[in-house]
Amino acid sequence: MSNQHQAARIRAWSTPIILALALLAFVVLTTALGDKSMARMAAQTLIRVTFVVGLWIFVGNSGVVSFGHAGFMAIGAYASAWLTLKPQTKALFLPDLWPWLAQAEWPVLPAAIAGGFLAATVALISGAAILRLSGIAASIATFAFLAIVNTIYSNWEGVTGATSSVVGLARYADQWVTLGWAVAAIFVAAFYANSASGLALRATREDEVAARASGVSMYRHRVLAMTISGFFTGVSGALLGHSLGVLNPGSFYLGITFITLAMLVVGGIGSLSGAVTGVVALSLLIEALVRMERGIEIGTTEFALPSGAQEILIGVVMILVLIIRPGGLTGGREFQLGRRRAEPKQQTATNRGVTT
Amino acid sequence: MAKLGVFDVSVRYGKVPALNDVSLHLNEGERMFISGPNGAGKSSLLRAISGAVATSHGRIEMDGTILTGRPPEAIARQGLSMVPEGREIFGSMTVEENLRVGTGIRRDRSAIESDIAEIYDAFPILGQRRNASAGALSGGQQQMLAIGRALMTNPKLMMVDEPSLGLAPNIVDQVYDTLVALQQERGLTLLIVEQSSARAARVGGRMVLLRGGAIVDQGDAREFAEKDLLKDAYFGGAKTEDA
Amino acid sequence: MGTVAQLFFDAVSLGGIYAMAALGIALIFGVMNLVNFAHGEYIAFCVFALIVPSTDAVAVMFLGKAPALVLIPALLILGALMAMTSEYVVFRHFRRADPVAMMIASFALGFVIQNGLLAIYGSRPKAISLWPSLNTPIHVAGADVPLLQLIVIIATLLVVSGLALLLKKTRIGLEMRAAAENFTMARMLGVRANVVITGAFALSGALAAAVAMIMVTQTGVADVRMGGSIMLVAFIATVIGGMGSLPGAVAAGFLIGAVSVLLQAFLPLDARPFRDAFLYTLVIVCLLLRPQGLFASPNSKPRV
Repeated sequence: MSNQHQAARIRAWSTPIILALALLAFVVLTTALGDKSMARMAAQTLIRVTFVVGLWIFVGNSGVVSFGHAGFMAIGAYASAWLTLKPQTKALFLPDLWPWLAQAEWPVLPAAIAGGFLAATVALISGAAILRLSGIAASIATFAFLAIVNTIYSNWEGVTGATSSVVGLARYADQWVTLGWAVAAIFVAAFYANSASGLALRATREDEVAARASGVSMYRHRVLAMTISGFFTGVSGALLGHSLGVLNPGSFYLGITFITLAMLVVGGIGSLSGAVTGVVALSLLIEALVRMERGIEIGTTEFALPSGAQEILIGVVMILVLIIRPGGLTGGREFQLGRRRAEPKQQTATNRGVTT
Repeated sequence: MAKLGVFDVSVRYGKVPALNDVSLHLNEGERMFISGPNGAGKSSLLRAISGAVATSHGRIEMDGTILTGRPPEAIARQGLSMVPEGREIFGSMTVEENLRVGTGIRRDRSAIESDIAEIYDAFPILGQRRNASAGALSGGQQQMLAIGRALMTNPKLMMVDEPSLGLAPNIVDQVYDTLVALQQERGLTLLIVEQSSARAARVGGRMVLLRGGAIVDQGDAREFAEKDLLKDAYFGGAKTEDA
Repeated sequence: MGTVAQLFFDAVSLGGIYAMAALGIALIFGVMNLVNFAHGEYIAFCVFALIVPSTDAVAVMFLGKAPALVLIPALLILGALMAMTSEYVVFRHFRRADPVAMMIASFALGFVIQNGLLAIYGSRPKAISLWPSLNTPIHVAGADVPLLQLIVIIATLLVVSGLALLLKKTRIGLEMRAAAENFTMARMLGVRANVVITGAFALSGALAAAVAMIMVTQTGVADVRMGGSIMLVAFIATVIGGMGSLPGAVAAGFLIGAVSVLLQAFLPLDARPFRDAFLYTLVIVCLLLRPQGLFASPNSKPRV
């Protein structure tokens, strides 16, 4: 009996280890074989892994779609910028910062963690409010939350620089730093998913009505998942800022919300492996499309995709995946060692609105 | 040719089986009762026939046409109508609007008004409250409305799920009287879920007993009533004699 | 006195736009439980259909050149076609799917349409003047009211009462209401799912076209991003109105218009840029107090 337990635990923990090794291999390969732009692409991908795994901690476990996580990303990104920028830069571009923030010159790691904590705090507060709503109403409220964050950061002239970009961030977030954070996010996500709270939350994912009837704790688990989720999305924001060196509120709005949601859906919302797979698959697709937009030569004719083709194609892929393979590429399964043959999932084909 | 043929039909909700290889046949103008304990699969059978739930196995035919796999609206056009469990009337619409929802599939437009008048004749209370919100009707009135609404599609086969549920006995009598009268008048075929074998015996017809998603017994409703009588002497004999 | 009248007209005309957009979303939600994030892009699509495809900053009228008598019906039909096409190509495949999957698909579809417009027309906002004479102010109740505001108010009333009549008096309206209340039961009575859903999309698309014409006349700008903000407000109106309730959507649209205008007028000058943040916060508070919506009818079944 205890042997079985142990085997199950080993299987569960093999998932984050496999994912971490796969990402390590990805970084080693791109660094060894590729040029500088490949390394940058790898860093971008790993930042998205951090974000999407963070997003998955909430969405994957609760089944509630959030459109608001780009807001947490913005919060983390700006917090890290406030803490790390040189005081003279801040005096020039962000004159209304509180005095101790204006003087702060933190090292990058504590600043990223602080960004994550600020995002987690906001996630806790907003989640405590929004998650009182059920399913789709909660999703729409997260959208309103995103709009609130965007309105504030796009207009708070002396603190965020409003719509003009904040420049001069230390560009430390290379592929190795981002790999570290992505792996940390994956392990925390696996830990949460296998914790009592994560298991309870996933049990409620299928049937919200039954879950509501069974107890009040669903709300608390959701808020907890949202808070952890907010931390990693916040950190991913800090990393994005320190990867590009530039911050703009527009980078944390509908575009990133769309792309990350597409990654989650294409990989498979149901599993952590799906979240990571989706990011890597779509990042490679995006990279290929970006190169094609720049133009590639096939034989003697140069061939270039029109701009915007990238987003259109990703949107189409996302819709096709939703139609053809609603569980995503991974079908909601985890990569595991020694996995037993899973029972085939019964497809339930009941008509909409059928209740007895 | 049978009016309705059900061949080895199974239904499952996810992994939970609700109906296992059920077969039954109804002839034109016949009346059949389905009885059985809660969860026996009575409603699932009706819903499968009407196309509201998908079957996982088996075939359903009406007048020789295969119904399985077709959407509910196509089955309704075939001449099948349903009074569902819990009535499911459109509460935000008026009584008369409820009656008119099902008339879209009829070709005999001219007969619609006279049919509505006929239903108001059979259930005068509906006529009096024709412009009232259907959600404000009492349970018995909603049952009448659900039957009237099903009749307005001009069906050849009508399925009624527990017409007596939650109704006072005199109203149940009235509902059955109306159903029988309509059947004789229009040559309807009726498939009715009814728990009480005594009631079924009095109305008259064949009866099928479902248990655990399978048919365990069938025969004349009177035989069932007698068996139930023997099973429990408390029920008294007088009631079932005059079927 | 004059400013009060001015505020009133501002509130009602803005609320009218929100109400029409919210109606378009509520119609679809009521019939098929779809939260259609692509609705805002139907509006943007209709705006851009007015001008010749090009990436130049100055817009050259295309459909917009036509006289109003041709233009209005043509654009309404175009909006309806756009919505019907999206149903046929995308949403029809989700009939048996989870509403969440459908919502995500609509989000993706909206993104596809938006980037399609971006590829064709470029990202720069374009100046566009459709019926500029409508912006000349006229004097009503001591306020200078642009003629357009009056027209918006009248148009909203016409659209809302027209829709109410259609739902109340026509066969398809009856079927739509039945389907919105209990889709499976309606189908068991012979109501054809495809007809009702296509009809709902057609109406929703036509409403989007109406919103497009009003917005473009009022702002004089065609912007690829214009769909997003109006859609968000319309969604919020639908939720506050009680998901799927059409009268609720209209009432909530006007309410949001009014609150928005009042915030703009009475917030301290420093706080005005943050108006939308205040508005959305109020919305979340309002949802927390009444999760079923402000105007949910007592006998409507819980949908969300």
